Amino acid sequence: MSERVFGVLLLLLSAAGLVIGWDLRAPVSYEPVGPRAFPLLVFVLIGACALALVFSRRAPTRWAPPAVLGRVGGLFVVVLLYALLFDKLGFIVSTTLMCLPLARLFGASWKQALAAGACMGVALFILFDRVLDVALPAGQWLKPMLG
Amino acid sequence: METITHLMEGFAVAGTPTNLAIAAIGAFLGTVIGLLPGLGPINGVAILLPIAYAMKLPPESALILLAAVYAGCEVGGRISAILINVPGDAGAVMTTMDGYPMARKGLAGPALSLSAFASFSGSMVAVVGIVLFAPLLAEWALAFGPAEYFALMVLALSCLGGLVGDSLVKAMVCVLLGLMLSTVGIDSNSGVYRYTFDLLHLADGIPFIVVVIGLFAVSELMLMLENAHSGAAPVSLSGRLMFNAQEFALAKWTMLRCSVTGFFVGVLPGAGASIASAMCYASERRMAGKDHCFGEGDPRGVAAPEAANNASAYGSLIPMLTLGVPGSGTTAVMIGALTLYNITPGPTLFQDQPVVVWGLIASLAIASVMLLAMNIPLIRVFVKFLAIPNWLLVPGVAAISLVGVYAVHGTTFDLILGTLLGGIGYLLRVMNFPMAPFILGFVLGDMMEQNLRRALSISNGELDILFSSPVSIGLWIGALAMLVGPRVAAALRGRHAGEPQPV
Repeated sequence: MSERVFGVLLLLLSAAGLVIGWDLRAPVSYEPVGPRAFPLLVFVLIGACALALVFSRRAPTRWAPPAVLGRVGGLFVVVLLYALLFDKLGFIVSTTLMCLPLARLFGASWKQALAAGACMGVALFILFDRVLDVALPAGQWLKPMLG
Repeated sequence: METITHLMEGFAVAGTPTNLAIAAIGAFLGTVIGLLPGLGPINGVAILLPIAYAMKLPPESALILLAAVYAGCEVGGRISAILINVPGDAGAVMTTMDGYPMARKGLAGPALSLSAFASFSGSMVAVVGIVLFAPLLAEWALAFGPAEYFALMVLALSCLGGLVGDSLVKAMVCVLLGLMLSTVGIDSNSGVYRYTFDLLHLADGIPFIVVVIGLFAVSELMLMLENAHSGAAPVSLSGRLMFNAQEFALAKWTMLRCSVTGFFVGVLPGAGASIASAMCYASERRMAGKDHCFGEGDPRGVAAPEAANNASAYGSLIPMLTLGVPGSGTTAVMIGALTLYNITPGPTLFQDQPVVVWGLIASLAIASVMLLAMNIPLIRVFVKFLAIPNWLLVPGVAAISLVGVYAVHGTTFDLILGTLLGGIGYLLRVMNFPMAPFILGFVLGDMMEQNLRRALSISNGELDILFSSPVSIGLWIGALAMLVGPRVAAALRGRHAGEPQPV
């Protein structure tokens, strides 16, 4: 069933890609093949595969139990928030905040989670920003304080 | 003789103190990543590539790091296979069959050292194979025109599609999704903006690192939460650590045979370490005759898959280095690394970038020696890493992955895009869609389109040119056979469903 739903979504994707791709034309062209041929070919093939998914009989997908799926969803949201706040809060603060719920999801106690978060934030910042010369955001909130 | 000169140059590159240190660090990190269940070579290479790039390592050093990690993963996967019966990566699945029973019999030490030696023999045979065959193949491929290239890439994609995953349609969908993402951005021939939705960040296309981290780091973390295994206590490592002469004598021909077979399986696109190790395990078991104890802790059962998976991992570098067409997910990521450094992969690589190519080959040999040296005396150090709890590992991987993505352009947009791709990757993986074809499609997309357009420019739009030379016809037939072959084989097997299946 999930694969059929996914097949329908793919079909929509293919249709959207074809509609958008149809207008991709080069103003001046010296070549027989323009910018739209390859994407259109890909989207046509995606459509064909989508139909195959919709109309074939397959073993049902085994999804994790709802409780586990909820936790996986939680992990996704945490990482998404981490991505959003990465340069606003700065690496150390955002990493500490991300570690806390993730470590809890994987069965750490509050104390362990907090310690892991704080240590990781500081240690990775020193490792990357100072030792390996990979620039990391210090955080916009620090700027007013530093003047 | 020319080869020897080049190889010496390669050792000069790989032997500089920096590159030796990088190879050692890579081999160590690779072993650790390999032994952690859930993280395998492709995750390791995916997570370390952006960091190597951000550290502004020169291309040969970055590639040496990635290759050492790749080699290390194939060696490290056996540790968890033997001690906790959970393969650390896909290539080590067969190692659990005899490795764990050996450990249960109190022979964990010999199992680990024998498998380390088997890995070493696989690596060395494969390095010799690369030195012998890669330059020849590269020279032959120099004659390829755009039409042959296009056919070759179709062949590479269909090999992976035919061999990976449980269904052809699913692999095709992933290849096509990868190709689709590769078309986003300004078209270099005409300057037309394709599928950018007026987003400035998409004008240059979706960064390779974003796709790789999304598909192989973020989605992996979600799967680790789903499959959180109960953390079985490892079998303790007591007694002798070294294998004895009797065990070595029993396994020596197995190692050699499996090293050679593994290498040739690895060269074929699509067939990777897991297929090589399963094939070798099955054939050694058949050849062992009556007096074997395969499945109950036969040393040959540990040596066979480990020799094969290292040899095939190295062998899979051949299509990548000589044709510029990767045959596996991990080598696809490495091709992506080359393109990050503006090095065009392909048969000209051997002429244009001898430092990179031969430095890489020499460093494989060096990394293999290092791995052997690390894995026998330092084995107790690695075993300690098995105790890292997931609650420490997962946030660490999440943070390091995002650091890598952020380091490339320094935009939040890339981080969010990577996370969203990770979510999509998770859903696809739960539905058994293979990810290797996805990344392969993404990496090859641009080259495929360029070669197709170049070929059709030469012929002024006539499609005949795609099928005009014997080489390209052969490649098309190969591609078709790879797509149809497994289905025919499955149908034939279905007819004999009553017969017992060979393992």
